[in-house]
Order: sequence, then structure tokens, then C-alpha cells
Amino acid sequence: MERRLAIKQVLFLAGGIILLPSCLRQEGKASVKLKNLDVSLNQEEVLADLSEMIIPKTDTPGAKDLKLHLFVLKMLDDCYGPKDQQVFMQGLDYVSKLDPAARQQFIFDANVKKPNLHEDGYNFFQMLKERTIGGFLNSKYVMSKLVIWELVPGRYNGYFPVKASI
Amino acid sequence: MVISLLKQAFEIMANLNIDSVKQRTFDAIVIGSGISGGWAAKEFTEKGLKTLVLERGRDVNHITDYPTTNKYPYEFDHRGELTFAIKQENPVVSKCYAFREDAMHFFVKDKAHPYVQEKPFDWIRGYQVGGKSLLWARQTQRWSDLDFEGPLRDDFAVDWPIRYKDIAAWYSYVERFAGISGNKDGLAELPDGDFLPGFPLNAVEDHFKLAMNNKYGNRHVISARCAHLSQPKQIHFDQGRVKCQNRNLCQRGCPFGGYFSSNSSTLPWAKKTGNLTLRPFSVVESVIYDDRLNKATGVRVVDANTKEVIEFYAKVIFVNAAAINTNLILLNSKSSRFPEGLGNDSGVLGKYVAFHNYSARINAEYDGLKQFTTDGRNPAGGGYIPRFRNLLKQETDFKRGYAAGFGAYRNADSDTSGIGTALKSQLLTKRLGPWKVGSHMMGETIPKVSNYVKLDEHKKDAWGIPQLKISVDYDDNDAKMKKDYVEQLSEMFTEAGFKNIQVDDSPQAPGLDIHEMGGVRMGNDPKTSMLNKWHQLHSCKNVFVTDGACMTSTSTQNPSLTYMAFTARAVDYAFNEMKKGSL
Repeated sequence: MERRLAIKQVLFLAGGIILLPSCLRQEGKASVKLKNLDVSLNQEEVLADLSEMIIPKTDTPGAKDLKLHLFVLKMLDDCYGPKDQQVFMQGLDYVSKLDPAARQQFIFDANVKKPNLHEDGYNFFQMLKERTIGGFLNSKYVMSKLVIWELVPGRYNGYFPVKASI
Repeated sequence: MVISLLKQAFEIMANLNIDSVKQRTFDAIVIGSGISGGWAAKEFTEKGLKTLVLERGRDVNHITDYPTTNKYPYEFDHRGELTFAIKQENPVVSKCYAFREDAMHFFVKDKAHPYVQEKPFDWIRGYQVGGKSLLWARQTQRWSDLDFEGPLRDDFAVDWPIRYKDIAAWYSYVERFAGISGNKDGLAELPDGDFLPGFPLNAVEDHFKLAMNNKYGNRHVISARCAHLSQPKQIHFDQGRVKCQNRNLCQRGCPFGGYFSSNSSTLPWAKKTGNLTLRPFSVVESVIYDDRLNKATGVRVVDANTKEVIEFYAKVIFVNAAAINTNLILLNSKSSRFPEGLGNDSGVLGKYVAFHNYSARINAEYDGLKQFTTDGRNPAGGGYIPRFRNLLKQETDFKRGYAAGFGAYRNADSDTSGIGTALKSQLLTKRLGPWKVGSHMMGETIPKVSNYVKLDEHKKDAWGIPQLKISVDYDDNDAKMKKDYVEQLSEMFTEAGFKNIQVDDSPQAPGLDIHEMGGVRMGNDPKTSMLNKWHQLHSCKNVFVTDGACMTSTSTQNPSLTYMAFTARAVDYAFNEMKKGSL
């Protein structure tokens, strides 16, 4: 009985140790746990601002409300290879160092692919925009409130009149 | 005194051993719980035979073991995508269209079960109760005599020992229970079955059907026949299954039992009889052959977790381990009578493996019929074009022919060019694009002695069983047939007024079609085949093979329905032989 208690205490302690790092997050590091990308808190904030520039809050939630920048980081961290990740980080680094006005200008320029843009910066923007859009359209908010995704359609009509559908 | 005590002890031990053997003895053993194994289990247990089903993977119970089935896209960490690490670790299975975040737990990972590729072969596997029946594409078509008579007419492989009349009633039998949706199309090359109502073609699929009828007469576009309950009957309700809800999330496992799988249908049915013993985590090492009795007596199993070796015994053994693994088990079942593998007097075991050529697709757009779109989802996937090449006589420079899938759909796309509020409103304003149409080929490949599987001499798996070496490739006939498919479908698409025709004939390795067949082929002559017309090994009559391994030729139909019918027929035969005392 005493032995069991002792084991329990040890496990409890171990659990506490495992929990510790997430409580005492390394200062200045991103708020989301990443395996491959080394993103600073500052860069995370820049990313949040950029994603909000891409999909802003209107009468419906924007990128920050939906935490799309964290989704972008999750996808970049897990679903991209080292080469793309490097490009993304170098681009993020470049854009982070621009002052806010230049940053905004860069995003607008990148969106219309102006010539002579910083290459990594442009590629970074492409990945960011694509994943922000994907995160938005696949968010719970959009899928349940704006463009409804049905889990159980229960029907099929191969001659659905178009006028009624729009 | 001491001696009598010892005697007693020996007797007790002997009895214990007898009890243990008794506990491990059944009327029938079925190796594998996939589409054909599940049917063997259902048929044997319904007939009152104590049946052991051995499954190498874990148990998967209907509904409760479908963890992703009711998830919305945003509930997946990566919204359905595979991570880079998973793709890197699984170059083979990652190529499969259904290996995605929502269903990857039902697929074998590359590293867990390695095999040797003498030539590239994408071996897609599902090691769990239900096997690939959870994951299949659910397309079901009958064979006709134009298929069974193929090898004889066109001089390849060996003659099938059966014809359509032998199997027709069994097709009906399995169709009624499994629930097959389709229309009575009245085509000699694709016999009608005992169908539930077919899923309808959509506006453009119907347009294509009509255009093909007008132009060719013998090129038919029909509603794809599939194992979905479009309108269930009492027999389906009795299985606990209800109407298909058009979710098209089938690969996750269906909580409605809307499509046929071993898990939703045959296995629970077998369990209800009280005659089923299902043993997951049982890797079959070999079938045990008794040289004195001249028959198989049981199966040697390695427990997947403990690696303990256990023997099970039965009068009859059905090998339904999925085509390639059935070959592996028989090749590894060596005895002094059969040094080259069980029943392999002919030397053809493992050879004449064939598959379906899926390596060409064709896509296009259609500007017409814009007043229509689709609403909901079609589980049948659209249309099916039965084989029309070389159907009644040889008419091309290649043997046999191909069936083709055909589907049409309209995407609601949104413009993504903007940024900020402009982009946001673009994203929420869906615009219907033009109709898009697509087709893929399903070509018959010719079984050849040079397409084989065999045991690797050195490499073993984690359970001490030799790894398989796979050497399967396309040939010149496949190349010519593919070219013809591209030409004919391009012509047909043009005829129907489709524009912007794009051919995708990027190569893919055999295996990815997941229609591997043969190696334990049927035939009349024991010198050139492994199985007789009842699916018995010619030289070991109490061992039956009714999965893809038994296929003498492949024709162009999706094969699962035929395995179901073969299995029900073979069990019926085995049961009657057992009653007569001949097995």
C-alpha cells in the first residue's frame, strides 16, 4: 500500500515535471508548440498582423479571431519539408524587419506579384496567403455559419437547378 | 506408490493437452477477415459449423472503432492532409488516394511490414478486422462469359474451370445480402443483378450516355453499380444497417452501415450465430499438412503481440488472406510432400500474378447544361463504361480491353485574387465553374509467368516469416491498350462536345490499383493450375482459396463482388462434402 502511494507520488512528480516547460515557456518564443520552426513571439505577432491584413475582421471574425496564423504555423511546421520551411522562415524574417508601412506595402505588392520583389519574401507570402485562406474556409466558424459543410447530406440530385442554388 | 503418482500426473497432463487441443479445434478455419474471409465466416457459421477466423491485425468493431467517422474537416489537425514526416516515412502507402488524415489508421504503414520490390510495386494493405473491406471503392460488377472465356478465346493463361452459369445464382445470393445498387441495363457484357435502385446519373453524365449511344451504339455509359444501400430491405435492417446517407466519407467506416464491409455486415452476422471465434493479432505462419493423412490439419499462428506460436486445427481451411498474402502463406507452408509450398505440384504457385491497369486518366470541361448542377453527394461516383474493345471478337493490335469510370461535377470556386475585405467577400461568394468531366481506365492485364511473388531467401519479418519478393510489371500489351484508351476516350469526349481535354498518363506502379490477383490460379489441369473449379487445391482438397489469389485472369470488373460469390459457393460445396464425409 505504502509502495503504491510512493509510486503514485513519483508519477505525480514526473507529471509535474512534464508540465513545467509549457508553464514556463521560453521567453520570446511562439505560443504554439512547434517541432521544426523556430519562431519568436515577435515573428508570431507579425504573422498574426499579416494574416489579419489578408482576412480582416468585418462584421464576421477575421484571421486573428480565428487564430489562422497559428494554423499557418502548424501546417508549415508539420506538412512542409525543410526546404520550404527555410524559405518561409527567411521570408518571415525579411518581412518582420520591415517597418509597418513598408510591410503593408510589401504585402499589397506581393499580392499582385510586382516585379523585383524579395524572392523569399514573395514565396513566404504565397504560402501564408494560401494557408490563411485554407484555414479560413475550413474553420468551424465558416463551415457552420457561412458556407455550410454537411456531414450527413442524405440526398443526391444530379439535375439541381442553378437559379435556386445561388 | 511413486510410480502410480507419476502415472497419474502424466495422465492429467495428457488430458490437459487433449483439452487444449480440443479448445484449439474447430470445424473450419478462415484465414483473413476481409471481404472474402468475412463471407466465409458468415456462410460456415450460418450452416452451424464452429468457425475460427484468424486476423493478423487488431479488432475493429462496427461503429465504435471508427474514431474519425463523425468529424468535421476542422476537427482534423491538418484538415485532412498528411504530414511531411508521414509522407517521408511512407512513400508507398502515401500514394493511395484514401490514405489521408481521416483514414490512415486503417492502412499498413510501409515500415511496419516491409517487402522486397524486385520491380516497383505499390502494395496497399489493411491489416485489421475487416481488412480492406472498410476502405474499398465499393464498385461491384458481375462477370459474364465474355470474361470467363477470355483466356480460352484469346490464348493466354489457362481456361477458367467455371462459367457464368456456375456463379450466376451465387452473385444473386451475395448481392441480396450485401446490398448492391444498380440499374437493369440489359447488357450481355455486364449481367444485371439482384439490385437495389441505382443512383442516378447527373445531367452531364446523362448527356454523355446519350451522345455515346447515338455515335457508337455499343459504348454504354451506365450508373456505376456499387455496394451501397440506396433503399435497404429487411435483410439489411436485420444486419443493423440503414440507408446510405450520401456522406461519401466511407473510408472512415460508416456508422449507418450504408456500404458493405465485413465489419458492418458479415462478421456481426456470423457472431450472432454463436459459432464464430474471431482471433485478432494472429499472424498465420503456415497451413499444417499431414503427410500420413494426406491433408491439411490446421494452421500455425504467431501471436502478433506475444510472438507465441500456436496451432489451430480444423477439417477445412479457407485461405482468404488477400491475394498476395494468400500466396505468401501457401509458399511458406512447406512439408516433405510439398517442399515448394502447399499444393504446388505444378510449380505455378506465386506466378501469373496480374492486376488492373489504372495508369491513364482523362479530364475535360463542358460548356453546356449550365442550368444544372448537383446537390448532395453521389456514393456511386457517377458512371461506368463497360468494356467495349475486343468484346465479341479481336479487333485491335492488343489483347482484351478496358472498362472506364466516368464522372461529371461542377465546382463552386471562389476568386482568391484579392486581399483584405475584398478577398474575404470573394471567398464567401461561390461561383459555379463549368462542368468538369473525368474518366480513368481499368485495363485487363495478361497473367504471365514472369509476373510473380516469391519468398525472399534471407529477409524475414518481425514474426520470423519470410518477406515477400514482388516482381510484377506492365508489358507491351498494356502500353498499346493504354494508348487506345487515351485515343478512344479523347474521341468520345470530343464527340460529346467536351473541351480542353487533358490526358494524364503519368506512370504508376502496379499495385496502386489495389486489384492484384492470381498466383494460386484456378484451372482444370493440376499440371498448370493450383485450384479446381470448387476452389480446392488440386492436391490438398480441404484447403480452399476464394480471394483474389484464385483469379485465372482479371478481366476489367472491380473484383470484390466475384470473390464474395466465389466464397459463398465454395463454402456451400465444402459443407456438402463434409456432410457426405468426403472432407
